[in-house]
Amino acid sequence: MDAPDKNPSLLAGQTAHPTTESAVASAAAPELIGLVTHEDVDRARDRWEVARARSKGRSKKFGSFRLLWLLVGPGVLVFLGENDAPSMLSYSADGSRYGVGFFIPFVVLTFIMGFIVQEMTVRLGAVTHRGHAELIFDRFGKFWGFFAMGDLIFGNFLTLVTEFIGVRAGLGFFGVRPAIAVGGALVIVVAAITSGRYWTWERITLSLAIFNGLFIPAAILARPDWHAVGHAMVTWTPFPGGNRYEILLLILATIGATVTPWMLFFQQSAVVDKGMQPRDINAGRFDTLLGALLASVFAIAAILATVPLFHHGINAADFQAAQFAEALEPLIGHTGAALFALGIFEAGIVAAIAISTSSAYAFGEVMQTGHSLNRPLREAWPFYLTLFGSACAAAALVLIPHFPLEFVVLTVNVIAVLAMPPALAFLLLLVNDPEVMGEHVNGFWANVAGVTVTVLLIIAGLGFGLATVFPKWLGG
Amino acid sequence: MDSHRADISAEQGALASRDIPVDVKSEQLTLQDPRAVLSLLEADQVVAAKRRTHFGRKNLSLGTKALLWGLRVYVVAMLVIVLISVYQAIHAAR
Repeated sequence: MDAPDKNPSLLAGQTAHPTTESAVASAAAPELIGLVTHEDVDRARDRWEVARARSKGRSKKFGSFRLLWLLVGPGVLVFLGENDAPSMLSYSADGSRYGVGFFIPFVVLTFIMGFIVQEMTVRLGAVTHRGHAELIFDRFGKFWGFFAMGDLIFGNFLTLVTEFIGVRAGLGFFGVRPAIAVGGALVIVVAAITSGRYWTWERITLSLAIFNGLFIPAAILARPDWHAVGHAMVTWTPFPGGNRYEILLLILATIGATVTPWMLFFQQSAVVDKGMQPRDINAGRFDTLLGALLASVFAIAAILATVPLFHHGINAADFQAAQFAEALEPLIGHTGAALFALGIFEAGIVAAIAISTSSAYAFGEVMQTGHSLNRPLREAWPFYLTLFGSACAAAALVLIPHFPLEFVVLTVNVIAVLAMPPALAFLLLLVNDPEVMGEHVNGFWANVAGVTVTVLLIIAGLGFGLATVFPKWLGG
Repeated sequence: MDSHRADISAEQGALASRDIPVDVKSEQLTLQDPRAVLSLLEADQVVAAKRRTHFGRKNLSLGTKALLWGLRVYVVAMLVIVLISVYQAIHAAR
């Protein structure tokens, strides 16, 4: 490895991660002081709150809760954002086609995989203060950077389309016309970003995201057999029977419902925008773990809510969101079906906010334009234009008559899984790079876990590929 | 490198509690003095610093290049297979 620039600070004599304390004292500090931006001031305000909470945390009983409240955000958002419309539909397909069994513990496993990789993005963001796209371009150059960006933008756009399909279908259950549903969703996306403040955006989106929990009452109304759930968690059985190709496709879609490239880019950029620092890494881990736990519970609830379809032998093979809710209505009641439809709407809207923000962060990082929700519109209009433009384009596609929506829904989670190994390779290379990570470089077990997740995803992808090209191998 | 970073980390730990020029115990925060802003952020967290500094390009080993190319071929091949599977699904539906 050649000697990189070691992030040569603009402050002479400083190294990769100097503190501002020393920067202020340096000769170059006056220059920096003149360049303090609106973004810096907002971030400093957030850091002051954190510093206060940390200071009070030592003396007051609930001080540490205040600290966690301030630092929780990107991890919960990324996991509840990934419990998006196509993901909830994948979980619903698991429940309606195979009942309580293998898929319940399997979903938990996928969230463990998700936690392993997302934790690395917390460390990368907190240590480098750089987004994922920016680091890939810096360390691997434009050639590999554009490949990574291509995967991200393509996957993000397809996923965004499915989010608006979810919005349209979820509200369609209540008789809302598609144009009004999609237009209303765009208004919410805009409302979330108008504050010009990361903190406000994060809290608005978190407050929307918590409604992912609507799947819990829907599941309770479906009267799940808790003994069977406990048995499945322990034994991973009954294993799904029938068409093996379809099972493999659902396994892949279920993995893609939890581990996707946009999550890596989003969480790292959100950690940077939140202003997290290396001493916040443990709080970031807690945030990520909390997000994974909440999302896995809500995902299992979606499976359980649709199990009655399995028991009544209703074929849900080609169901879309509204059809799931309509089919559930006679089985779990209007309230349960309405909660399910609202849950799909919520899943779509939160993911639309998170994914369009992920695209905008990556675009801003690569184009080296302002890329922070702490920036006012006039300072970072390309960032906000990308965010809003990608959401508008996806929303418009959903409203085009005869647009092959099913095609997009069918493939989006599978494409996410297939695009994940290269994204994980970049992540693992970055997080093992001592010039980037310093003392926070990956440990042995983190690497074992990261490589295992990558290999599992490759095996799942290859299995899907072989089963598609040679269907007779699986008896499909 | 590592020991140097350990020193940096120790400095960071002290920043919030002891050396910060802003009073973290006060109820009001005034950020009109840019030094107060800077003292709350790490130097490479400041926008102007980030804009002017970048991590250098990593020299990729042959093994790393082979890995990245292998994964790139994998993604392209898999996307072709996805298209095949979608074609099959649409064809079967008709």
